[in-house]
Amino acid sequence: MKEVISGNHAVSYGAMLSRAQVISAYPITPQTQIVEMLSEFCRTGQLKAKFIKVESEHSALAACIGASIAGARAFTATSAQGLALMHELIHWAANGRLPLVMADVNRSMAPGWSIWTDQNDSLSQRDTGWLQLYCESNQEVVDSIIQAYRIAETISLPVMVVLDAFVLSHTSEAVDIPSIKLVDKFLPPYRPKYKMDLNHPLAFGALVTPDYNFELKYKIQEAMEQGLITAQKVDKEFKRFFGRSYGIIEPYKCNGAEIILVTSGTITSTTRDVIDELRKQNEKIGLLKIRLFRPFPAEAVVKVLEDCKKVAVIDRNIGYGVGGIFCQEIKASFCNYRKRPQIFGYITGIGGRDVTPDTIKEIIQHSRKNNKADNKINYIGLRK
Amino acid sequence: MKSLMQLPPTAISTETTLYNKTGSWRNFRPVYKNRLPPCNNTCPSCEKIQGYIDLLNQSTILSNLRKAWDLLTANNPFPAICGRVCFHPCEESCNRNDYDEPIGIRHIERFIGDAGLNNSFKWKFPGINKAYKIAIIGGGPAGLACAYHLRRLGYQSTIFESDDRLGGLLTQGIPSYRLPQNIVRAEINRIIKSGIKVRLNTRIGKNYDFEKLISKYNAIFIAIGAHRERKLNIAGEDNPSVIPAFRLLYNLSRKRKINIGYRVGIIGGGNAAMDAARSVLRAGKKPIIIYRRTENEMPAITDEIHEAKEEGIEFIFLAAPERIIIRNNKIVALECIRMKLGPADKSGRRKPIPIRNSNFQVKLDTIIPAIGEEVDTSFLPDFLRTGDNKIKVSDNGISTIKRGIFAGGDAVTGPKTIVEALGAGKKSANLIHHYLKKKTLASAETEKQVAFEELNMAYFEHQPRTQPSKLVLSKRLHSFREVSQGYDIKQVSHESNRCFSCGVCNKCDNCFVFCPDMSVVKKNGKYEYNYDYCKGCAICVVECPRNAIALIEEEK
Repeated sequence: MKEVISGNHAVSYGAMLSRAQVISAYPITPQTQIVEMLSEFCRTGQLKAKFIKVESEHSALAACIGASIAGARAFTATSAQGLALMHELIHWAANGRLPLVMADVNRSMAPGWSIWTDQNDSLSQRDTGWLQLYCESNQEVVDSIIQAYRIAETISLPVMVVLDAFVLSHTSEAVDIPSIKLVDKFLPPYRPKYKMDLNHPLAFGALVTPDYNFELKYKIQEAMEQGLITAQKVDKEFKRFFGRSYGIIEPYKCNGAEIILVTSGTITSTTRDVIDELRKQNEKIGLLKIRLFRPFPAEAVVKVLEDCKKVAVIDRNIGYGVGGIFCQEIKASFCNYRKRPQIFGYITGIGGRDVTPDTIKEIIQHSRKNNKADNKINYIGLRK
Repeated sequence: MKSLMQLPPTAISTETTLYNKTGSWRNFRPVYKNRLPPCNNTCPSCEKIQGYIDLLNQSTILSNLRKAWDLLTANNPFPAICGRVCFHPCEESCNRNDYDEPIGIRHIERFIGDAGLNNSFKWKFPGINKAYKIAIIGGGPAGLACAYHLRRLGYQSTIFESDDRLGGLLTQGIPSYRLPQNIVRAEINRIIKSGIKVRLNTRIGKNYDFEKLISKYNAIFIAIGAHRERKLNIAGEDNPSVIPAFRLLYNLSRKRKINIGYRVGIIGGGNAAMDAARSVLRAGKKPIIIYRRTENEMPAITDEIHEAKEEGIEFIFLAAPERIIIRNNKIVALECIRMKLGPADKSGRRKPIPIRNSNFQVKLDTIIPAIGEEVDTSFLPDFLRTGDNKIKVSDNGISTIKRGIFAGGDAVTGPKTIVEALGAGKKSANLIHHYLKKKTLASAETEKQVAFEELNMAYFEHQPRTQPSKLVLSKRLHSFREVSQGYDIKQVSHESNRCFSCGVCNKCDNCFVFCPDMSVVKKNGKYEYNYDYCKGCAICVVECPRNAIALIEEEK
């Protein structure tokens, strides 16, 4: 059934169709509509879930952790400072191997106070043991939430589904909402191996001495590596059920491309249009969309990019003191290969500044003009 | 050591931690210890108020009524009476005063009392021990309570009553719009039927000799009350239209006609003054209350003052009678002098001081002094009397100088309250029991009552006190129908639910829920600590809303 809905409501539908059993969140723009609609679903009975009101994001995630330990499928959503406030528990959830799903609506970190998009909030959680999926469209949002539970519950790690503030969160577009019957088949109820059960007492989260803790951390990395395979399998199976798939990365018109642009989030769809236009003019240009950022699909990325001359990585984020974070990841992926393209790093759209086709064209022009890339950061759209 | 494969994915222990007896870490030990609620502490009749309110604060309120009635009447045989006219010191001491408004204890008591009458609840007392004969002089509240409590202990007593009916003030003084007489009769009859002998119209010292009483009975309780009218000590007081309040109310209770003219001045500020004024109003006359201090100092129950004002009764404050003006042997006016309030006197109230040359006259046909009564001790031997015409008793307030003779109520204290008389009756029954069995009564340890500051208000919401409905004003003015309608079952339930249950566990589960070590265990409807694991963190002590858990230092 197709409906015209916003990205935020696409998240709500995703959680509802996944039959989340416990929802706990604290309001923050631009996320608030997500949980508003979920609370409405709870009120009408469309979703049979316990909706827990809390006084902070820290408590919201804590409530979800408790619910998940007790064997419930839990969901939360947040943005920017809210995500930062969760930080301690973000570690807890991953170290506790809990298959939570969270939607993060990318919002620039304050101060200066902003409600507009950039990726610094979610990317600053990159080493916590959460998988991260970046979405391009509202359709991808609803589908990714459902996929996220399958992935999370298979490998026992939490998944963050990320979407851009306003460009997706508050923009409506036609979305094919999956039928719940089909989702039920695709995503069976959560059956944890260990859960808090009064009749079978277990102690959770206890002290671990140096004798064992190394091994527990190793197992998280092992699960992450497994996650790379699982995410692809789940996406393939999703296509079998619903006719749509996204891959963990998506090469777009990369055949014979001399320059490949690398994007994530909504910049991808803008770039797609530019690529279409330039391809018509026989320009040898392509696009690589990164959907799964954690675990980072280094091998797959290298495979797509290794044959082209130049790679232009567009980052809507900044790792202060280094540069674009996606760019760093891609450079690192290539560092042990002899054959590698020139990798240009571009930073644009910070703090929610619009990224238009002209922005993309400026990037292409720049990378076309320069034959050698260096470690310099190239800012596009920065005031002079 | 476990291998990588054997390890669970995260820090999960599949073993129990029960081996780790964390109780050994404890420096302080929580102990369940019920304490003394202020209502129980201040009830002169030692009612277990918190206990019966707790019984009604449950979903099983109807089936608990019998239990509540049993608990209440173990200390006070007259709940339907006290539930109407007690001056309720329990409510004054209620910790809820410091939060919003006190619990409507008296209305709850009335509800239980009325339920007892409506359901004809009866006691099961032990058989009568015929070995002892006990005489009680006076069938008022103190005498009746003594007879009742003796009966509970297995003794049969004989009440000698000078009037033609039992009850004292209950049947002679309090008007029926406050205390319907059918209620009084029913509660008195119920105790008499349980096995008490009564001799009416028998005045000791007149129809029956006191010495004879001493020779024939093993123990005697003197509870003759205070009935001799106090004098105004002003000119014109001997006019027949000066009728003491007690006599007016007595005559009204006997439905005797009395001629009081139209303008009736009532002098005094106590309950008798209110009763007299409101009765006069109901007889279609114009009562005027004259009191030498202000409303703040009036000793009458606050509700009575409010209801009198509601009914439109005129008050003249800060005025004291100086002389009665009589023409042709008829009262025409009362001359009063204006007073002002000085510093506090012995009673703690501000003392009235006359203002010179401020005399004024109030036109009146009748004057009702309501300034209190004295004890008539004339029939007693001197060694039983005090200098100020009361009965001499020892430190316990009951035993006289002569072994086997006890006294209590207004006869010892001077005019006081019904519930204090009931308390004295109960205490004397206990002392008589110990005297007859040649045992000494161990003095009870004094316990500190729970203070408001010791309660945890995080668990209580502000809620106004439940007000019972009242007879509409228009119906009140010309009838003696009862004014207060009491609580209905919903109101009782709601009001009981407001009770803090100060210092007494009412199984709210807070300790059970909050214990981080699951060391609070429910057993046979009670809580116990599992001291193997209790670390003595005292969270339960702090979170107990009613301070019913003590914290004791462990001996190391």
